[in-house]
Amino acid sequence: MFHVSFRYIFGIPPLILVLLPVASSDCDIEGKDGKEYQNVLMISIDELLDSMIEIDSNCLNNESNFFKKHSCDDNKEPMFLYRAARKLKQFLKMNISEDFNLHLSRVSQGTLKLLNCTIKVKGRKPPSLGEAQPTKNLEENKSLKEHKKQNDLCFLKILLQKIKTCWNKILRDAKEH
Amino acid sequence: MTILSIAFGTVFYLLQVVSGESGYAQNGDFEDAELDDYSFSCYSQLEVDGSQHLLSCAFEDPDVNSTNLEFEICGALLEVNCLNFSKLQETYFVKTKKFLLIGDSKICVKLGGKHITCRKMNIVKRVKPEAPFDIRVIYREEANDFVVTFNTSHLQKKYVKDLMHEVAYRQEKNENDWMHVNLSSTKLTLLQRKLQPDAMYEIKVRSIPNTNYFEGIWSEWSPSFHFRTPETTIGEMDPVLLIISIVSFFSVALMVILACVLWKKRIKPIVWPSLPDHKKTLEQLCKKPKKNLNVSFNPESFLDCQIHKVDGIQAKDEAEGFLQDTFPPQLDDSEKQRLGGGVQGHNWPSQHEVITPKTFRGDSPLGCLAGNVSVCDAPVLASSRSPDCREGGKNGPQVYQGLLLGTGTTNSTLPPSFPFQSGILTLNPAVQGQPLLTYLGSSQEEAYVTMSSFYQNQ
Repeated sequence: MFHVSFRYIFGIPPLILVLLPVASSDCDIEGKDGKEYQNVLMISIDELLDSMIEIDSNCLNNESNFFKKHSCDDNKEPMFLYRAARKLKQFLKMNISEDFNLHLSRVSQGTLKLLNCTIKVKGRKPPSLGEAQPTKNLEENKSLKEHKKQNDLCFLKILLQKIKTCWNKILRDAKEH
Repeated sequence: MTILSIAFGTVFYLLQVVSGESGYAQNGDFEDAELDDYSFSCYSQLEVDGSQHLLSCAFEDPDVNSTNLEFEICGALLEVNCLNFSKLQETYFVKTKKFLLIGDSKICVKLGGKHITCRKMNIVKRVKPEAPFDIRVIYREEANDFVVTFNTSHLQKKYVKDLMHEVAYRQEKNENDWMHVNLSSTKLTLLQRKLQPDAMYEIKVRSIPNTNYFEGIWSEWSPSFHFRTPETTIGEMDPVLLIISIVSFFSVALMVILACVLWKKRIKPIVWPSLPDHKKTLEQLCKKPKKNLNVSFNPESFLDCQIHKVDGIQAKDEAEGFLQDTFPPQLDDSEKQRLGGGVQGHNWPSQHEVITPKTFRGDSPLGCLAGNVSVCDAPVLASSRSPDCREGGKNGPQVYQGLLLGTGTTNSTLPPSFPFQSGILTLNPAVQGQPLLTYLGSSQEEAYVTMSSFYQNQ
């Protein structure tokens, strides 16, 4: 009789705790009518994509780990947008241009504001972007830097496209319901 | 008890004094009754200078001493938390690209670093578009209208692109009589007939955001444009059109007059021909013609006529002899005796004796014998011929022409009238044969001719 009760005490609650994050979302999307996205965010995303038009979308040789871990699946759209918006902040360090950074900030900050998420993500050191290894000589550093910059821009372009696609999916689902 | 009451009174008094002190809010901000004096209003202008936006604020009370007052905006900004306003005369403004354009911002009035009053505001809901410009009015003579066009800088902007425009126009002499037209495009057509001719007009336009996200207030009015409407005189018609209209009017009038004049005589018989009435026709045929009717038994009225008395027996013999030469010998004496008529003409003296006058039967057309020639015509013609014996004399030979022709000839041109003065000409149908037929034919033709001629005269 005790082992039966133990099963219920120690078996089911952990199961619930594990399943809850999957079923529920900590993000509440405020802009489901699409006004903020269509009049502000989409303009900035298009401006950024236009500035990276010379970069091919198939520039990534292998799929990034980020996209392997996070995707805009059903019921996972807010979480994907949340993580993507946070990822965008890392590219502010590239300092491509003032307008570029402003549009990037607008997309990131505007998305986070609309998602209104309550998730507390553990702080971890963001991966470095375009940092050269000091042991190698300058020329190799430059080329590596350039190569990494291109890779980063490629990743950024794909990330912006996926953000746009995910927003469109959210708005489409909102219209259907 | 007294001490106690005094103590309570002091406490209450102190409480009242303390509570009477103006505004000690929970958040520590200084708020007093003078807050209403620092009320302000703001508006934003997006992309006013390239990609830079402008936010302008001003106190609603113009008497506010704004010497040491400052404005600050916090929230809904990119890369920074707050921005300070700049001051230009009595207006505070901030020009930046760092507006997030999503969510509310807080704008506060500061005095010495301390917030005096704050207000929550969404920048995208207080957008004031730029005033339209380059308004023009072009008159189209062929369309009789005025085309109003203007330009706005928002056509090239990214955020506030859709605007509602208001065009206002008035006649310059009517100061407050403005007409308003709302439109979403930058082109307007005004019909000439809705404007006064030969008048000066003033026109201007302003805009307001017309999107589902950006809202705001009316822009400033554009600079006015003045134009004069042309004189629309009725006499300035196309001369060709005028001539055509006059000619057509007179043509119609002439046709109406002619129709009225010629209606009875010409038009009505063609349009509504009268059908012949057989009874009337018959009466007309057989009635005595009043014209040229001169019936008289006074011998003196026949002085002009050559009357030859005929000896009955001799005439009969000679007639028999004559008739035997011309007709087959079937003619009876009775028939011969009944031959009569106008014996005229000196060419036929012998025949004069043959033919005997018979009684005048002009009054009774029913007296015509069957199978014989209808002699209804005879009395008619005879009576018509009586006053004109000379003509009858000339036609004397023609009397027998029918008889003579009756022997063999078929083509005969018969006179249209009998030369007989009186009497009945009856012929035996057996004797006559061909002559009778021709005679009948001639009289029938004459009858038809008479009928048709009478019908035509009708």
